[in-house]
Amino acid sequence: MCIETKMRWRSPNSTFYRGLACGAALLLSAASAQAEGTPIPHGTLELIAESQWIEKREVAAGQKFDVGLRFQLEKGWHIYWVNPGDSGEPPRVEWRLPSGLTAGAVEWPTPRRLEGSSSIVDYGYEDAVLLIVPMHADPKLAAEQATQIGADVKLLVCSHDMCIPGKAQLSLTLPIESHVSAPYSRYADLFAATRQSFPHPAPTTWRFSVADLNDSFVLTANFGHKITDHQITQAGFFPLAESQIENAASQKLQPAAGGFQLTLRKSDRLLKPIARLKGVLVLSTDHSHANHSHSDQAYLIDVPVSKAGAVRNNSGNGAH
Amino acid sequence: MKRSTLFPMLLYPTLLCPMLVALVLCSAPPLASAAKVGAAAPDFTGTASTGKTFRLSDYRGKYVVLEWHNNGCPFVRKQYNSGNMQQLQKHWTSQGVVWFTILSSAPGKQGYATAPEENDYLAKMQAAPTAALLDPAGEIGHLYDAKTSPQMVVINPQGVVIYDGAIDDKPTTDLNDVPGATNYVSLALQQAMAGKQVETPATRPYGCSVKYADATH
Repeated sequence: MCIETKMRWRSPNSTFYRGLACGAALLLSAASAQAEGTPIPHGTLELIAESQWIEKREVAAGQKFDVGLRFQLEKGWHIYWVNPGDSGEPPRVEWRLPSGLTAGAVEWPTPRRLEGSSSIVDYGYEDAVLLIVPMHADPKLAAEQATQIGADVKLLVCSHDMCIPGKAQLSLTLPIESHVSAPYSRYADLFAATRQSFPHPAPTTWRFSVADLNDSFVLTANFGHKITDHQITQAGFFPLAESQIENAASQKLQPAAGGFQLTLRKSDRLLKPIARLKGVLVLSTDHSHANHSHSDQAYLIDVPVSKAGAVRNNSGNGAH
Repeated sequence: MKRSTLFPMLLYPTLLCPMLVALVLCSAPPLASAAKVGAAAPDFTGTASTGKTFRLSDYRGKYVVLEWHNNGCPFVRKQYNSGNMQQLQKHWTSQGVVWFTILSSAPGKQGYATAPEENDYLAKMQAAPTAALLDPAGEIGHLYDAKTSPQMVVINPQGVVIYDGAIDDKPTTDLNDVPGATNYVSLALQQAMAGKQVETPATRPYGCSVKYADATH
């Protein structure tokens, strides 16, 4: 069911964005049989690590290691992306860490478009999601036997019919050891699959620009020369900042020389001009020589906004 | 001044879509967001939990606050369980402001209430809006493109929307966040009444999505 290449044109939201997170979601649910998470409304939450232990020499070298908040939700319930869209709030975490350990920012997988009603669109995750958080250890921590990681999570879990607040206190003890064998835990594949669903920087040869029109932003993408196999069949933009675009408006995709244009309706709440448009661009391509059916790609883009008319000369680089 | 903005909104999904199977109009959400800051507030007539009807345009000459309500939404509960919303209602109605609490949840969804249920709730919570308007079909909600509860709209005596967005600057469900929050509704009313420009006329209205009836198209 996840191998869905034929996108329905009429209702992009239902099938288009699912492909991306699908691989990760399958892995999440496959692993769920053995895991006991902390209960949250209509689901469970668990603090997990990619490795069974932390390598002493890696800590001594100041390397980071990854932990994750693993959400598993009942069918019909969702949590929110960093920009939740029209409603809702993303999960918030407060870390309880020993001295010498600091938490980095949450790495958010590509979200899905969640339609609450015809006029309300949120961005978030259904079924299951892993939010990866890098931990940075002070080299001095290498002298310790283990490290204790605690997380207090507050979140909002919603269905189309209701919203319920949740809280969870999570903890994890990670030994700090020297081993010969690889330290990968049973969650290593899940971390790997989740990273696959992260938006990546766009190829440096691609050129993006954004024109500020009266009531819309027009995002123009140019793939450069001799690209014939990039037939974009679907495109969707998820803004990182709230209240920039009208989330519920359909995003109009039009072919353009060497690329495409995507028209994004401005939010009614956007009362001042914006300097940059930053977010995740999901493209569905129709590869004539595709070697597998999965063809959605997510890119992190950060493009300067120019007043209409001055667009052509402004080639914002999608690389980030 | 009677406006007919409600009419096309109602026509839109029910009539146009079955006729035009051409998809584009049907799959696109109705975005005729009539309530824009700086524009005239679209008129409506609503039935209160008391049975009385209220027409917005009858209150030209007064400030009007619209409060989208869902008694189960944790963001709304924060405001009511802390007593903050009731305090705002009492304070501002005592200053001559008209305050409409609007329930746009569809039957069977969180926040839906019958007239007696809503009257019980208002009494129990010691809420003091001018009226609680029952909008189970979501007509007033869609007219203002209300996205969340507790979304707040402030209309000036000339009938112009001067604020649309969140109740305050703390988008959480935590009661402890009420005391330190900057309340955008009070700020807009204070500034407008002092003859000043409203500094923050639009914000993202945090909260639960309005639990409208499922789209029929």
